[in-house]
Formats: sequence, C-alpha cells, structure tokens
Amino acid sequence: MNKKIFLGLLFIIGALADTAFAQTAPAKAYLIDIWYGFYNAIVGDWAKNAPLFIEYVTKMKPVYLLVVIGVPSVFLLHYLIIGPKKFSHEGEQILYYDVFARIIHWLAALFFSLLVFTGLIIIFANVFGGGSFVKFCRYVHLISAFGFGITVVPMFLMWLKDMLPAPYDIKWFLILGGYLSKKKRPIPAGKYNAGQKMWFWLATLGGGFMLFTGFYIYLFNTSLETLRLYTLLHMLLGIAIVALFFTHIYMSMIAIKGALWSMITGYKSADEVSILHSKYYEKLKKKA
Amino acid sequence: MTNHFNDIRHSKLLFFIGSNAAEAHPVAMQYILYAKEVNNAPVIVVDPRFTKLAAKATDYVRIRPGTDTAFLMGLINQLIQNDWYDKEFVRTRVAGFEELKKEASHYTPEVVEDITGVPAKEVVRIAKLLADNRPGTVIWCMGITQHHIGSSNTRACCILQLMLGNMGKSGGGTNIFRGHDNVQGATDMCVLSHSLPGYYGLSDKAWKHWCKVWGVDYEWIKSRFYNKKYMNKPGFTLARWYQGVIQEDKITQYTPIKAVVFWGISSQSISQYHKVKKAFEQLDLVVVIDPFFNTTAAMCEKDNVYVLPSTSQYETEGSVTSSCRQAQWRYKVVNPVYDSKTDYEIMEEFVKRFGFADKFYKNIKKIPEDITREIANGCLTIGLCGWLPERIKKHTDNWHTFDIDTLQAKGGPCDGEYYGLPWPCWTEDHPGTPILYDISKPVAKGGLPFRARFGTEYTYPDGRKENLLAAEGVANPGSEIMGGYPEFPGWKTDKNVIKEAIKRGMAPFGNARARCYCWNFPDPVPKHREPLHSPRPDLIKKYPTYPDKPDHYRVYTRYKSEQKPELAKEFPIVLITGRVVEHMGGGDETRSNKYLAELMPEVYAEINPRLANDYGLRDGEMVWIESPEGGRIKIKVKVTERVDDKTIFIPYSFSGMFMGRSMLSNYPQGFEPYAIGEPANIVTNYGYDIKTQIQGTKECLCRIKKA
Amino acid sequence: MAMKFICDTERCIACYGCVVACKEGHHLPIGVNRRRVVIVNEGKPGEKSISIACMHCSDAPCMAVCPTKCIYKREDGIVLHDKTKCIGCGYCLMACPFGAPQFPKSGPFGARGVMDKCTFCAGGPAPTFSEQEKQLYGQNRIAEGKVPLCAGMCSTKALLAGDSEVISEIYTQRVAKRGAANL
Repeated sequence: MNKKIFLGLLFIIGALADTAFAQTAPAKAYLIDIWYGFYNAIVGDWAKNAPLFIEYVTKMKPVYLLVVIGVPSVFLLHYLIIGPKKFSHEGEQILYYDVFARIIHWLAALFFSLLVFTGLIIIFANVFGGGSFVKFCRYVHLISAFGFGITVVPMFLMWLKDMLPAPYDIKWFLILGGYLSKKKRPIPAGKYNAGQKMWFWLATLGGGFMLFTGFYIYLFNTSLETLRLYTLLHMLLGIAIVALFFTHIYMSMIAIKGALWSMITGYKSADEVSILHSKYYEKLKKKA
Repeated sequence: MTNHFNDIRHSKLLFFIGSNAAEAHPVAMQYILYAKEVNNAPVIVVDPRFTKLAAKATDYVRIRPGTDTAFLMGLINQLIQNDWYDKEFVRTRVAGFEELKKEASHYTPEVVEDITGVPAKEVVRIAKLLADNRPGTVIWCMGITQHHIGSSNTRACCILQLMLGNMGKSGGGTNIFRGHDNVQGATDMCVLSHSLPGYYGLSDKAWKHWCKVWGVDYEWIKSRFYNKKYMNKPGFTLARWYQGVIQEDKITQYTPIKAVVFWGISSQSISQYHKVKKAFEQLDLVVVIDPFFNTTAAMCEKDNVYVLPSTSQYETEGSVTSSCRQAQWRYKVVNPVYDSKTDYEIMEEFVKRFGFADKFYKNIKKIPEDITREIANGCLTIGLCGWLPERIKKHTDNWHTFDIDTLQAKGGPCDGEYYGLPWPCWTEDHPGTPILYDISKPVAKGGLPFRARFGTEYTYPDGRKENLLAAEGVANPGSEIMGGYPEFPGWKTDKNVIKEAIKRGMAPFGNARARCYCWNFPDPVPKHREPLHSPRPDLIKKYPTYPDKPDHYRVYTRYKSEQKPELAKEFPIVLITGRVVEHMGGGDETRSNKYLAELMPEVYAEINPRLANDYGLRDGEMVWIESPEGGRIKIKVKVTERVDDKTIFIPYSFSGMFMGRSMLSNYPQGFEPYAIGEPANIVTNYGYDIKTQIQGTKECLCRIKKA
Repeated sequence: MAMKFICDTERCIACYGCVVACKEGHHLPIGVNRRRVVIVNEGKPGEKSISIACMHCSDAPCMAVCPTKCIYKREDGIVLHDKTKCIGCGYCLMACPFGAPQFPKSGPFGARGVMDKCTFCAGGPAPTFSEQEKQLYGQNRIAEGKVPLCAGMCSTKALLAGDSEVISEIYTQRVAKRGAANL
C-alpha cells in the first residue's frame, strides 16, 4: 500500500529528475539537497508514522464493531446462563452515596454517555450517512467533553480514597467478582470492588487523557505528527472505555437487580453489601 | 524593446542587468526559460540582490548598487581588448568607436573589481560568455535606469550590444521590459513634461505639427501660455514636481505649483515621499482620478482633495501598446459600475467645462476609435501612421493566425503582417517592424536601419572626422541607395514623404551609424560616476559626479554639492528598492485584493544574516530605517541571504503607514487596503539622472535602528 | 487514464499565479489554500520552487481513513469528496502526505468546517454546472473541456495538468531537450 501512496510523490521526484541534466548553474546545492528540501517542506515527517496511522485507523472500525456487538452479546449469554444477582432490598439500609455524589455521578454519567454515543457515531459516520447529523454529534461530543471535564474533577476527588487498590482486589479478579457463579458467597471487596475501581480509574484518568488528546484533535493546534499519535491513542483508549462503559451499564442496570436504585436513593441493602462488598461490611460492623 | 518577447526564444544568451523579470514580468519568463532550455542559452543575471530571477540564472553576478556603467564598460573593454567584438558591424554601422575604445580602456578587470565588487576573473569570464554566445539579448529594467547616471547606464547596455553586433538581429537586441501594462503606450504619447506626443519635443515646429493634427490655431495655443518661453521649456517631472510646491531647491518658474492631478498613478512611487506629503499639505488642490481610493487621496490630510472614480480597464475600451511596441485592441468586458466614469468621459467633461471642447475635441466624434485615428495622424516619428483602429481590431480578433516564433500571420485576414503592428508601422499597409534596425529585410516588409538623426558628419574633440551614415553596401534589401543616406526632409510631418521613402525601399529617417559618442550628453561616452550618496568615500574623488544643474526641468538639482564623502559614516548601509510578484506598482489595486494581500500582507526589509547579527536584529523584529533626508520608516526585518551584508532591500509597493503612523483613518470606511505598510520611498534618497531626472532609488544610503 | 499534475521545478518561478487563480476562480475563503507554492533554499543558489495541491493519488490514503467514506475516485483518477457528507474530522489531513486537505474555520466554537481540497477543477458530486456545485466546489472546468485553472494560468507552463500519459510525454520531451542541449 505504501508504495502506491507514494505514487503521487513520484511525480515530484520525476519533476526533479531532470535537474541532473539541466544543472548548469554553479549552484552549491546538489540535486539530492534540493530533493530533500522539497521532501521536508512538503511531506515532512509524514513517512515516520502516518503509514502506521493509516493502517491502524482503517482497522479500528472493525474492532469497534466487535466491541459494540461482542460485549453486549457476552452479557446476553451471561444473563441467559447465569442470570442476574438478586438481593433482598428489605431490612437494614446502608447510606452508600450522599446527595453530592449522586448529583456528580449522574451529571458525569450524562456527559459520559453522550461522549460515548456521539463518539461511536463519529466512528461509524458512514453508517449514519455523514453530513449534518454527524457534524451535530461532533459538536455534542465537544460540549459533552467540557461538561465531563468539569464534573470529573469532583468525582475523582470524592472517590479517590475508596478507589485505591487493596490486596483483596487480586482475589476479586481471580474469581471475576463471583459473577460466573450463581451462589451467594461473600466476595472480597471494599466499598468498591476491583471492577468498579478499574472503571473508576479508566473513566477519570483515561477520561482525562481522552480530554487532553481530544482537545488537540479538535483544535488541530499541534504538529500533524503529534496529532496522528493522539488520534490513534484516542481511538485505542476509546475501545477500552466503550467496553467498560457497556459493562458498567450491564452491571448496574441488569446484572444486579435494583443496583440502579442505590444511585438514585443513595441506599444499599445490608444484604447486598454483605455479599458484594464483604470487606466493607465487616469494617462497618466493627465500627458499629 | 528593439525586439519582442517571443523573439527571446531565439536568443543564445540572456544578459539581465537590473531586472527581476521573475517577479516583475512573470509572463515573459516562458520565453526566457524556453531560450535557456532549448538553446542552452546561458542566463547571466547581474544584480545586487539574489532575486527570483537569479534563482533561474546559470551565472549570477553580485554587483554593488550604482556601478552598472563600470561593469558594462569593463565588459566592453574586454570585448575590444581581446578582439571579441563584431568588427564588421562596428566598421559598417557604428560611429565613435575610437572614442569608446579610449574611454573603455580605463575599465580594466582590476578597476572594475574595485568599483563594482565583481571579481576581475568574473568580468573576463562573462565577457567571453557574451562573445561566445551570439546573438544574445540584453534585458534591463529600473535597476539600470533609476540612478543619477541612469542615462549612461542605458547607453552602456546599448553599446555593449553594438560591440557584440547583436543589434537588429533575431535573438539579439536591447530589450527593456516595461513595468506596467500600456506603459509603452503612455511613453509614446509622451505623458512627459518635455515632449509632445510621438517624441516631437517642444520646439515651435513640433507645436505647429500638432496644432495641424488637432486642427487648432497655433496662435491660440500660444496665448494659453504665461509667455512664449514656457511653451518650449520642459516642465517639472514626476520625480521632482513637489519641489515646485515646497521649493527646497530653487525653482525656475514664475509661480509655485498650486494644483496637481493624479490620474492613474501611485504617488508613493516618488522618492523622498515624506516631502511629497509635505507638498500635499501646501497645495490648494489635489485631484485624484483612480478606480481605487488610493494612497494619494489618503495622504492628503488637508481638505484639498477631490477623488473622481474612474473605471478599470475592463469597463472601457481602446488600443493599448505592449512593451514590444505592439498595439492591441482592448474590448470592454462589463459596463462601468457604480458612479465610475471612463477616462474618456472624465476628460471630455473637463474639456467641456474648461471651455475648449470645440478646439481640442474637434476630431473626436466616436470614442475611442477617433482618438486612435488622431494618434495615427500625428505620430509620424515613430511610424504610428498604420495604426488604424480597424487594423488593430482585426489583429486582436485574429490573434490565433499569428506565429508564436516570428509574430507573423500565416494566411488569414492579416497575412504577412506582424502581430499588433509593432511600430514603426509606416503606412496603412505596412506589416509593422518586429525587430528594430534589422537590415536583412526590406523596409516595407519590416526592416529598418539605424536612424540618421544627428547629421551626416561629426568632428570629435580630438579633430577626428567621421561620416555618420552607414558604410557603403549596408542597407535594407531593395533600397535605392545601397549604403548610408540622410533622413528624408519633412518626413516627421508629412505622410507622403514617408510613403515615398517606403516606395523607394528606404527608411524615412535615413540610414546611419549608431553612436557610441553622444556629444549632446554630459558624458559623451558612458562613464562611471559614484552615486551621490556613495558607501565608498574613497572612490568619490576618482569618480566624482556632475556639477550642479540649476535649471533641470525647472528646478535646481544638486550633484556636486550633494555628494559628501562623510555621509557614509553616518549612513553606512546601502538601500535598494524593488518589486514583489504579489503586488503591482504602488499596490493600491493589488493590496485591496484579499488573495494577494494574504500572500504578501506586510512590508519588510531584507537584511543579510551578518548585518542583522551585527545590529542584534532577529527575523520578524521591527526596525527603524532612516534616510539622510529625514525620512524614517518602521519596518519588519526579514533575515535572508538574498542581499549582501552591506545592502538592504525594501519592496516599494506598500502604503497605509507613514513614518510609524497609521493612515487607515484617512480612508473612507470599508475602503482600507488589506495589506498595509510603510512606503519604501520615504527613505529613498536625493539623486536624479542628469539627462532625464529619473529618481535614483537604487543607490541610496540609510541607517538602521532597533525599534 | 489518470489525471495528474506535474510541476516542472526548472520552470516554476514562484509567482503564485496558480494559487491566486485557484482562489479567485473558486471564490475560496482566506486561509484555504487548495494549492500552494513551496520554495526551498530561498535566497541562495539552488533556490527552487514547486506548486503543490492534491496529487489525486492512485491509492489515496485520505479515502482509506475517512470515517464518512465521502472521498471517492472518479474513473479518470480525479479524487473528489462529498461536502454534504464530510464532518470535518481532519483524518484526511493526518493521512495526506502533501497537506492537501484544507479546513476553513467556519463551524461554531471555532470548529473546522467541512474539508476543502483541490478538485482538479472538476466540481463535485453535486449535479454538474448546478448552483450547488459551484457554491460547494467551485467551477467545473473539466466538464467544460478545459484544463484546471492553475495549469491554464501558469505563466511559464511549469504546471502541467491532464492525463498522466500525455503530460509525462510532454515533460519527458522537455527534459530530453534540456539534456540534448547540454551534450
């Protein structure tokens, strides 16, 4: 492919080839210098990583398609085979999220979802026919990025302490959070389990990185060389974010019955906490 | 131009001196590059600046500004010393060779190196190149003319071609690229203060001839003048008219100038522009006639200016003359927009209101055809007799039938004629003269000998007598006299004499030799004189300028008293001006075009990295440039190796600023040009040619100060 | 058949005629340079210039990366794009070796508008000679049977445009003449 891309370039080279004959001037510049002069002025460092960019950007679309179709299908299978976890919502209630946390979460969630969906629309722009709808989505993507940028900071600060990794997180990963078994056994997790922690770090730090690269991609105010790198990273990280975004939705809305309500009311039942966040429950017990 | 643009395709060598054709004449470059490629013609570019043209050169010679005559005389000396000159041509068609030889012998390669800075070896090499590649063409522009010895420079170029025997030959000739569209036409109409149209001068005979053409009573014309003396006295020139207002130098006129009309000209092309501005403030009336609200109008800050909107070339029609003396009919494309009027209409309204429409406007019934006809009736000296509007239109309409190489039509309605009837086009069926002084063709078919204008014999100061007519056996084929002959009496005023001459196969103006020794010039043989403001005080003594000239186009012009060796200490840097390809002339039109303004948005001074570092200047920094005359401009530095470390270059096409002050508020809202900058001519110096009074903008001194 | 440009660097004098002709002919906004002139060794021996625009690549990388798939190739090799589909993402510029795609700042929040590039004076997907085509893509000189404006205006005939086989033949002959002249 690269060879063919250079076909256009070959014409410039052709245009210079005759200098070998016509150079009667006592010029101190050699043909090769002039050629490099033109090459650097026109093509610059394009050959450094643009072919890579072209190769990977074109491959990105199928990967996204795989994620968009694959991840929900896996969850569908999980739902059908293992089914959701059910907890009693009666009895003792534990205040999990205060009002501030809930507001911040939902604001961030709103912007984040917009970002994910508009981002996907941009990637699959041809499916949506391009044009004004996708262009509108680009603007929404931009505005949402600003919204997310504002809300992600308090979110990061308020959950930072609870999201620090703990030794039992390894254990959680080993049993995949117990989601592969139907049995109700206490699962090793603090206030937030390792999956949530992973999601937290990806959404905040990863989100921050997306904001940073997105800012440059939007304004184009850096070298093309850097832009290509940023665009690739933006798209690569986007894959992980989209995958975990779907996971988060599945977990909170479907996989754990009623989990959604805890983010609305702020309370979780002791039953649920004792199983899914056993370490935290123990701590609460001790305190009491 | 003695030849035409297309003829450059036949050149075996191209010698550019003081020309940047790649920027000033991009369209002519196709012929230049053709000659370079197909004929393997060496392209020699002599210029103080490594121009875009120099980039296309095979041999580039960097020369000190203002020393062109020395360099050219050095080449001529080499040609003579080494016997490289065309002996047969000199024997038969050149006069004053001995005097030239004597003068030229002073310019040995070593002397030339000292004056010009061109290595002695290079002088010999270039002379050899010129001798080895014939016919070669010599091309020059303002870099040659805009000096206080500009007339010597141009003559040195011509003499160089005479020595090479390149005159009157296809591929040879002296080709001066005119700076604007129809400038040759304007020159032929003598829009000048010292001549009537057609280079007739201001003698009584000339006045009487034109009175006859116009159908005006000579006595009436005479009565219009203050007194008879002023009828024959050259007026002020474009370069120095403002002295008639501010009178820094003594004027020889009964009254100062009170009103001025700017009709399609950029005033910022006049040197020492800050003094022009001063004149604007003292004038009672300034009239600006232009399609654009131009710099002149913006510079008049006293309430004394009237701006009349005229049309652009697309909204009117008429004949125009190209650089190579060809006429073409320009048709109207659109009707005049808004309130603008064509120049014809404006002139007509003036004439009517002044009350002599019945006099000057007698012959003009149909505009512009009748004007063209009147020109054909009047300009016999340059043979415009054949330029009838119908013929010019026929050529324009059938341009595709003409040959690109020779300009001659092959078949069709203009069969055998040359495109645009390059003048002299002696009669109404003459095909035009594509190459001047070409004796290989009959006069009736476009051939021409040298003009016999200065008598038949001359006695030089050393007592040598020389016949000024061409040698025996040298004449156009079919000539009744095979040899030199004087001019036909009365040919300048009588068409029948011209017809008679052509019938006899002879040129109406005779067949003479070209003079190397012009006794009616201050320097009969061109000689180097240091610029008035010279960066080489040591050379001033050796090559001093002329004595002061008290009544030089009605104004005292300083030479000797202006040339002070100590000036170079205070103003050590040489300043030259020139063009950029993006803007045209004063730039009022092009700077108002957003695309051109985008490409070249502001003025800059090109400074060599060495000079910039010595002054601690960086690329893009602002700097004050000051002239000895008190002009100063604030300008951006462009560090480049185009200029050497003693010279700075500024393009002159800008305005909108004046000595650090923005003039934009003087424009009506919405009429401001997009690209603005200081006019370079604020810092150009005193110095005017001794013969023509052209300003010396290519040999100035200045100093720079960090802003 | 493939439409191509060749710029003869021995002929190009950096007069910017092609640039201005293009802008004036298509009424482009300031800052949008479908064509540009690149000069090397400016002011030094060996100064050369070249006029560059979209090269209408045989396997155009911009086509591969465009998320809307709005860039397409005509049968005669001219690469065009559909401005009604373009979203102004800028991937084509990142993929292009020649910096051909241009983005006017026209959208809200200083956003890039839709991409604009050299059309080889062949208009765009809108109906030929329609007002919409003229507005979006400029003139359609190819449909009128004319060469692109830039090549037509080139004062030294440095810029050649047309069928690659034809123009390379012209160019080869030119080079051959230059070579022969030096023998």
